[in-house]
Amino acid sequence: MTRDTGDDGTGGSDGQDATGDDTGDTRSPEPGVPRVGRDEQPSVFVPDAGAEGDETVAGAEGDEVVAGAEGDETDASAVSNTDRSGERLTDGGVESATGGTDSVELDPDAYDPVDVFAGGDLDLREGADSCYKCTSCDTSCPVAAVDDEFPGPKFQGPEQWRLKRKDDADIDDSITSCSNCMRCDDACPSSVPLSQMHNEARGQYVDEQMDKLSREYVRNRILSNYRFFANIASKTPRLANFAAGLPGAMWLGEKVLGIAGDREFPPFATQTFREWWGERGGAQVSDPDKRVAYFHGCYSNYNTPEVGKAMVRVYEHFGYEVMVPPQKCSGTPMFANGMLSDARRHAETNVENLIAAIGDGADVIASCTSCSMSLRQEYPELFDIHGIEDVAEHTFEAMEYLRIHEDLTGALAAGGLDEERAFAYHAPCHARNQGLARQAVETFRDVDGVTMEDVGDSCSGISGTYGWKKEKYETSMAIGAEMFDHMEDAEGEVGMTECPTCAMQMEHGTGYEIEHPLQLLAETLVD
Amino acid sequence: MNEAADVIVVGGGSTGCGVVRDLARRGLDAVLVEKGNLTHGTTGRMHGLLHSGGRYAVSDRKSARECIEENRVLRDIASHCVEETGGMFVKRPEDDEEYFQEKLEGCRACDIPVEVIDGEEARRREPYLARDVEKAIVVPDAAVDPFRLCVANAADAHEHGARIETHAEVVDVLIEDGAVVGVAVEHRSGPGKRVHRKPGTREEIRADYVVNATGAWAGQLGDMAGVDVEVRPSKGVMTVMNTRQVDTAINRCRPKGDADIIVPHETACILGTTDEEVTDPEDYPEEEWEVDLMIETLSELVPVLKEARTLRSFWGVRPLYEPPGTGTDDPTDITRDYFLLDHDERDDLPGMTSIVGGKLTTYRMMAESITDHVCEKLDHEATCDTAEAPLPGSDDFSVLRDYMEEFGVRSPIGRRSVQRLGSRADDVLNGTDPNPVVCECEGVTRAEVQDGIDAAGSDLNAVRIRTRASMGNCQGGFCTHRIAAELAQQYPEPVVRDAEDELYQERWKGQRHALWGRQLSQTMLNHLLHATTMNRDGDPAGLDGDVAFDAFDAGPGTDAASGTGSPDGTAATDGGVDGDR
Repeated sequence: MTRDTGDDGTGGSDGQDATGDDTGDTRSPEPGVPRVGRDEQPSVFVPDAGAEGDETVAGAEGDEVVAGAEGDETDASAVSNTDRSGERLTDGGVESATGGTDSVELDPDAYDPVDVFAGGDLDLREGADSCYKCTSCDTSCPVAAVDDEFPGPKFQGPEQWRLKRKDDADIDDSITSCSNCMRCDDACPSSVPLSQMHNEARGQYVDEQMDKLSREYVRNRILSNYRFFANIASKTPRLANFAAGLPGAMWLGEKVLGIAGDREFPPFATQTFREWWGERGGAQVSDPDKRVAYFHGCYSNYNTPEVGKAMVRVYEHFGYEVMVPPQKCSGTPMFANGMLSDARRHAETNVENLIAAIGDGADVIASCTSCSMSLRQEYPELFDIHGIEDVAEHTFEAMEYLRIHEDLTGALAAGGLDEERAFAYHAPCHARNQGLARQAVETFRDVDGVTMEDVGDSCSGISGTYGWKKEKYETSMAIGAEMFDHMEDAEGEVGMTECPTCAMQMEHGTGYEIEHPLQLLAETLVD
Repeated sequence: MNEAADVIVVGGGSTGCGVVRDLARRGLDAVLVEKGNLTHGTTGRMHGLLHSGGRYAVSDRKSARECIEENRVLRDIASHCVEETGGMFVKRPEDDEEYFQEKLEGCRACDIPVEVIDGEEARRREPYLARDVEKAIVVPDAAVDPFRLCVANAADAHEHGARIETHAEVVDVLIEDGAVVGVAVEHRSGPGKRVHRKPGTREEIRADYVVNATGAWAGQLGDMAGVDVEVRPSKGVMTVMNTRQVDTAINRCRPKGDADIIVPHETACILGTTDEEVTDPEDYPEEEWEVDLMIETLSELVPVLKEARTLRSFWGVRPLYEPPGTGTDDPTDITRDYFLLDHDERDDLPGMTSIVGGKLTTYRMMAESITDHVCEKLDHEATCDTAEAPLPGSDDFSVLRDYMEEFGVRSPIGRRSVQRLGSRADDVLNGTDPNPVVCECEGVTRAEVQDGIDAAGSDLNAVRIRTRASMGNCQGGFCTHRIAAELAQQYPEPVVRDAEDELYQERWKGQRHALWGRQLSQTMLNHLLHATTMNRDGDPAGLDGDVAFDAFDAGPGTDAASGTGSPDGTAATDGGVDGDR
């Protein structure tokens, strides 16, 4: 799914944008489920796990409606309402359940289908209305292609949901074989909210059916909370790298935790991106009209700070003031493992800090395409957090943002490499879903000294934490086989991709060194 | 072939199936004849509400009391046909408060357990309810599957020695010496299980007594016997939604009117209904405004219905009856009570009784009273046990099981299968290996389809009503051929082809009334898939004349006689040795 990037994004002074946040929320105080399909879906709600879910929803909804109608607030937001609604229209947004931003009246036709299932879970049965059974999703599913046991996204999504009833709790355990590559979203001609259905079903499965003491659960919890462990390891990166490199370390990981023993842990950087940023004294360009807030994610921070540094060099080259707000995990690995409460906790921190940055006039950029995917699509689909819609609308992938706002082609025409380099580029599935699959190739194909070859549209197979699981390792490598072949065929001996885990897989399958497009951008433009 | 039986029951709806079960269990030799499939007439064309009696609590307390009594019985003896959804009478601001109170008092007076909840609580239970719903009366309504219920009754009768003949239309009532002595039927195929293309025979079945349980068709059978039975068939539309917007039966709390009920049914929701008198139970207009009215009016209760996907609509005819001389103009005012018309007492024609009026919820009670009547006529002493004996499939069973482990099917599919099969689940699901899913929308596996075929022959609509296969959102687009393929082991190709066509046609029939939005896209996709892969838009095998294949040449520049080489690059007629180059 791609989002319209036509809105100017940089417009609005601090004050206006701050009120914009408020109205952004009054626009859809009620969580909803998809009516026509994912693209039109404003916001849904997953309360924190807990038995009181039922009551909080009913209560919260009432409160917010009242708050929205209160006199002192309406005045303040009325001015910016017009602004905001005008801007939203360009975004193809749909009328909200309460009749849009102009309406503070309760619309009797509105409905708030939340919490139909016990425990505060979403009712996504309606999403099945858009499915024509055409099976495009199944044919696009990389897991189904190599694993005959996996029933495919159509079953996991619209079929399973349609068969559900209010009192049913059981989700088929095959949901854990979905890698959350989200290709089905992109393949669906009818906007069935497939990945949302999968994420929600997986969350319900993990909450209600998975043994919390099982090795699988513990392993998945560890994998999806990579940030927590990376944070600790980064305190003593050399020791952590040494320990991970010890003979038998991976063997032990496989035996004890079920982590694929054939893989090697990525080394931790001796200095994290944030440490570097602090040491550098933060931004070296200041411009209140040209600000970006960098969502570096965990990997650029702990493992590949060179990507983050390249991003800073490139953006400062174009005169942007870079902000690095406090942040936690984007949630991608947590969604993929059904750890929705963990993801929500992290999302609250991220939204709070990013919305503040947006209030300061910044747009959010990410160098990891799964992070930008999460902020743009999964956040508003799964959580109802104050300001989450604004974050989604103001988030971009780093190179995408430059291609929109700067004359990148012109700038690159002047630059180039002194020494010829050839790259085998793989577009991550999550980049593909944002419509970004071709941007690296298009950007670099005419640049002097650069040969950029697309290695095809197959999935790399690792899908974040998926390929790290012992029982999924073979599936992961089978999916990746096509990409490995094409990389070997390509002229370049260096791989290129935006996604950190795709990079791990590319390296694991071919032995190539892998770079991020931002690094090449820095090399061709700035160096 | 001629056969003498004790009793012939004409009509395979809920009443007829209930009667034949009761007769068989009381030790009488009974034959059921039905001109279509079981449930073919009115029973298969209802909204599936198992009444708590609440709907009649103001206007017709006798019916209301019977409903709550039978509601309790059916939960017990037909547990695999009943889903305990509960029901609500919902009051909107414009609905009369006085009527709400009358309804409440009426329910209490009829011993229907009630609970009054406010609008907020009603929306907590059913989040799609409109925001301005003020309050609701909660009643023990439930959803019943009429197909499963009839099939189970017939199966139990069969186990007790009854003969069940479907697709056997009564063409004459035999009268000798001024008394009914049997009926003449024309079997569409057989006798016995229906098999397409098997020639049918005419059969005279003689019996000591004939029960006319043909509902809206009772007048037609009466004509054959030369008696007047003044049923007043009244049509009603029902619209099927793709998913369940509500999990509780939602009734509008107002005196009477069209479009006032939404019943969750299996994976779908059924909206109902209208009430309009028709002259012929088989020939009446199915009108668009009726469907529009359902969606329009019921979206006042559940606004999302306006945007939700509609699968199809169907019409049914109520077998309303009122004693001569009552003179009611409006069919909604006609009583829902049932009547036994003994033609001996009424028309001096011994040997036959008609049962008219009534409703599905009280089918068992109706069956009991007519069976009592028949036993009295035949001087047969036996007691009725149909209120206690569970139907096949409704013996103690639990749906809480590990389906993957037990039956090798995924959990939502196993859950649905077990809900449909009830206590027969083990017998049916353990017999077939491998057991792939045949109908994906409804999660129906090969084992269930084969079980249906065992019972119903090559009639795939009979398999459909037993299994729900092809009743989901693709409406058979992706599964009619798979279901038909299940026949191929036992039946020759032409039979399979006819059976498939018939099912596909039946699915199309209802979708004609849902051709907008998403179901229109679905039907178009179905049509194109079937046209382009199975020639359904013009299958040579289905054409009258022979196709002149000789008239086709091998394409420009080829030597039609050689059939192999293609020097100029056009394809050889046999694909050549290197077909893909």
